[in-house]
Amino acid sequence: MERYIDGEAEAFELLYRRVSPNLMGYLLRLTRNRERAEDLLQITFSKVHRARGSFLRGAPVLPWILAIARRSFLDERRSAQVRTEDLSPDGSLPEQQNDDRPLPAELSDALDVALGRLPENYREAIVLTKITGLSVAEAASVLGATETAVKLRVHRGYTQLRKELEQYSRTS
Amino acid sequence: MSTQNPDPLADLPWPKPEAPGDAVSAKICGACTKNLCAKRGLSAVSRLSLCLFVSGLVASYAYWFGVRHHRSELGLRMGVYGAVVWGLVQAAVLYVGFAPRRGLLGSRSVRVAVAVVLPVLFLGYLSYAAWSYVPFDQFSHGARASHAFSCGLIALLFGAIVGGSVLLAWRGTNPVTPRLSGTLAGFVGGVGGALAVGIGCPSHEAWHLWTAHGLIVLALGLLGFGVGRRLLSP
Repeated sequence: MERYIDGEAEAFELLYRRVSPNLMGYLLRLTRNRERAEDLLQITFSKVHRARGSFLRGAPVLPWILAIARRSFLDERRSAQVRTEDLSPDGSLPEQQNDDRPLPAELSDALDVALGRLPENYREAIVLTKITGLSVAEAASVLGATETAVKLRVHRGYTQLRKELEQYSRTS
Repeated sequence: MSTQNPDPLADLPWPKPEAPGDAVSAKICGACTKNLCAKRGLSAVSRLSLCLFVSGLVASYAYWFGVRHHRSELGLRMGVYGAVVWGLVQAAVLYVGFAPRRGLLGSRSVRVAVAVVLPVLFLGYLSYAAWSYVPFDQFSHGARASHAFSCGLIALLFGAIVGGSVLLAWRGTNPVTPRLSGTLAGFVGGVGGALAVGIGCPSHEAWHLWTAHGLIVLALGLLGFGVGRRLLSP
């Protein structure tokens, strides 16, 4: 990151290769839509590029970039909420579909679907600590929460995941 | 959940991180490396010093103004003592609210507590500093009201300079809790402005201090909350 701040283009490419898979995984699980996740990835990196001068040297890079990605996601969602919604042919607002389909047969797919069904704050805490590999302290700094709150969210998320996956083990 | 407990879902095939599409990657790398040049930002210590310098500059101007308008020596001295003590408080608030330790910002709950305690403490200080009291109906019109109004405007201007310097010095550094940090910047600015006006203003009447000097802190805190996300988030 510091070499990138100093103007080395190769350093950015190296940073991108290291950070983008984790960032993409996080955004995919936040948005549950590949196109939106890729849009947000571009927005995030453009913000990182603009704000590279304000990065405090020596700070961990991934939590900083993840926090920017999360802020971009929240901003995008906020602006989407005030956007006009297309009405259905009978003139009513489209209803949100509840995802109550049975879990897929493959365990990894079932886990992905079960993860997607978790409440957002549980899902975020699990994705950051379990998939992205952040420490609890780093995840707390990304989420703007206390470490205890993150531990609690992970624990509750685990409990809910276990319940969902019990259904998988019964059917398989 | 304790960190000593075994992970109950450790054996699950957790999704692996996924690389973005090649087209997106090429677009990002192209945009971020085009005409890339060094962009060195200030260190946390420099940013903190800059904010305190601006606060000191505003207080010095108010002192010069007070001397020029023949304010009593005792009043000037009390104002300067107050500004020095509150300058230390401002430094502590900036350190807790903005400067990261080991790269991460301090606990959010501590910063929330600071945002609650700081204005309460400052209004308490103003109440302590008030030497006289007139009923509100006497204060609310005539010369007292117009003096409070002009004092309030000057405090607002000074506070906006100090608070603005905090927001600009730490611009784009807080992607996590920018509104909270914006509120703290507003409070720091409000305290700076009120103290500067306190050096140059001869009034020690309670209503005057609460409204013309104290309300500015709350007003700038609200303003900081409003602009924090835009200015402090990268």
